Amino acid sequence: MIDADDLALLAVSLTAAMARESGAAAADAALHAVGWGELLVAAPIQGAAVAFAALGRTGSAACVLDDVVANALGVDVRPDVCVVMPAPGRGAPAGTRDGSVIRVDGLVSARIDNSERVVVPFEDDGREFGFVAVDATLLRPPPLPSLDPARQYRRAVGEVRLDDARVVEVTGTWEVVVRNARAALAHQLIAISRVMLEMARRHALDRVQFGRPVASFQAVRHKLAEALVAIEGAASVAHACVADDCDALVATMAKSLAGAAARSTAANAQQVLAGIGFTTDHPFHLSLKRTMVIDTLFGSARTLPAEIGHILVARGAAPRLVEL
Amino acid sequence: MIQSDVHEFRRDLAAWLDEHDAELRLPIEQHPTLDDELAQFRHVKRALFDAGWGRYGWSSAVGGLAGSSMLRAIVGEEIATRDLAEPGLWSMIEVLAPTVIAVGSPELVAAMVPPFLRGDEMWCQGFSEPDSGSDLASLSCRATAVDGGWSVNGQKVWTSFAQLATRCILLTRTGEPGSAHRGITAFFVDMDSPGITYRPIEIQNGRLEFCEVFYDDVFVPADRVLGGVGQGWQVAMNILPYERSTAFWHRGAFLHHRFDALVANVAAAGRRDTGDAHLLGEAFQTLMAFRFRSRETQHRLAGGESLGAETSIDKILIAAADQTLYNAARDLLPGVIEFDTDTAAGHWRWDYLYSKAATIYGGTAEIQRNIVARRLLDLGAEP
Repeated sequence: MIDADDLALLAVSLTAAMARESGAAAADAALHAVGWGELLVAAPIQGAAVAFAALGRTGSAACVLDDVVANALGVDVRPDVCVVMPAPGRGAPAGTRDGSVIRVDGLVSARIDNSERVVVPFEDDGREFGFVAVDATLLRPPPLPSLDPARQYRRAVGEVRLDDARVVEVTGTWEVVVRNARAALAHQLIAISRVMLEMARRHALDRVQFGRPVASFQAVRHKLAEALVAIEGAASVAHACVADDCDALVATMAKSLAGAAARSTAANAQQVLAGIGFTTDHPFHLSLKRTMVIDTLFGSARTLPAEIGHILVARGAAPRLVEL
Repeated sequence: MIQSDVHEFRRDLAAWLDEHDAELRLPIEQHPTLDDELAQFRHVKRALFDAGWGRYGWSSAVGGLAGSSMLRAIVGEEIATRDLAEPGLWSMIEVLAPTVIAVGSPELVAAMVPPFLRGDEMWCQGFSEPDSGSDLASLSCRATAVDGGWSVNGQKVWTSFAQLATRCILLTRTGEPGSAHRGITAFFVDMDSPGITYRPIEIQNGRLEFCEVFYDDVFVPADRVLGGVGQGWQVAMNILPYERSTAFWHRGAFLHHRFDALVANVAAAGRRDTGDAHLLGEAFQTLMAFRFRSRETQHRLAGGESLGAETSIDKILIAAADQTLYNAARDLLPGVIEFDTDTAAGHWRWDYLYSKAATIYGGTAEIQRNIVARRLLDLGAEP
């Protein structure tokens, strides 16, 4: 654990670096220059929580999820390490081994454009996990833009022959990758949700209809209240997952609840923002699209509750996870 | 409170409860009546008080052994998890005793609170009226000054367990009609006072949950004023932090206990791949959002912070947890709530119907959202 004051200082410098650099590569370089890599190694979950909250607040294109995954695997944290993330809504490795071929169906960050090789996590009959580095050109995704306004994530689909791949030695496990990624992404979703809620709140106070601010209408007030409750519920779970021994189930719930909160906040905020929120004149659409993309990473608000349910049925009991 | 003390307390309490489990349970019929539940509740309260466990978290002024309010939350959690007392009866103490301790005279507190903590008495809360529900400040049950005290006339409704209660915390109008929050006075009233009559009201699950209570020229001595004349609204607001800390933690623990039963049911039925596992996951994460949030609240209270509007979020989260859980149970146990007649099915039916009240009692879901909008989102006053 890192001292709260040090963490606050790091948060300031990370946020400043993100706000200063708009492109993904420049933002990555700036973050690494102010010590992001060292922070991540020293406090994998706690450090990521701070960085991903800043990511959410600033809308930065920095590809720090690659760093979180690399660090969980025990691979060097460097701004040119690019990892293939799971397919949308899934938590399993993007690669599936089939004989001498690894089929890849996943997502990659903008780092692939500046990396010679990418790391492909794969599974073998859903059991054994492995990690290989392959030539980035084998998976280089189409240059068509995705919905992601940060132009960060795109699909990466392809087949890689094992002969063309180099085994990556790792010390971490896929379970730790998933846990750390989910905890980090939960903080990002919560931060973006707060941004969306504030946009809608501001608009509701400024926008006058029938001679009064629309914020005075109960139907509008309750939509915004609904969003805040969803955000705070998710935040309490996410904040509980900062220590390195955080239970994987807590991280999964944090991501699931944060995804649900983002969906609820986006829907309620968009309705309150009404016409202007439907345009590109207003920045709301950037946050909306961002949450849609982040929600799909490492399991979504749609897929994670089922995963949690299966875990509970397999255990035959529900853990309390936290005591007073 | 040092965290290790809390862990130690829980461990020792659990050991004691394990050791005395058999003697803590009265023999009851297959379908316990409210009388059975009351008897069981009193039995457990008495045993806990005599053994000391029921006295931690309460001050020595009321026969307590002091310590953080979190210790009471832990006792409530262990009792709920072991099904040792009906949760509604249990929560009344956590809501009402701290309020009387906070606003009652030292003599009144010393005389009245210990029997309540021992389980000798039940108390009730006379707030709502036929024309004053969410708009509590419009209440009209009138108290008029008479020689030596006050005379109360009017009607209350939704008074939980009034038929079992020996005392009532009663809100009355002592100011001019229309004096709203300012003209309300709270009293501590003996329920056997001449002039009090009541009619129990049966709720959807068949229980006589609450009463209409009528007050006709009921004399209340002057020393039974709580918190001062005209201070009744503050007394009512004083209840909130207690309701939303130890009592909520207890309710949450009860919901977790019922969720355990649901998971065990689903696991035993081998219903692993029916495509509705997400219902369990949603219920669990909703419950956990409340638990993690409430834990923060308990720690803030134990750390000396005063609780306010932000606890409306706790209230909304626990109501969501309650209803999500029982809606999931209805779908995951097809037909059980609607048709089955065994004891377990009776529990699910009872709880399912009762869960619908979670967004009504203690301030409706709409009132909570109004508070969140006004106080937490700073959206300004409603017109």
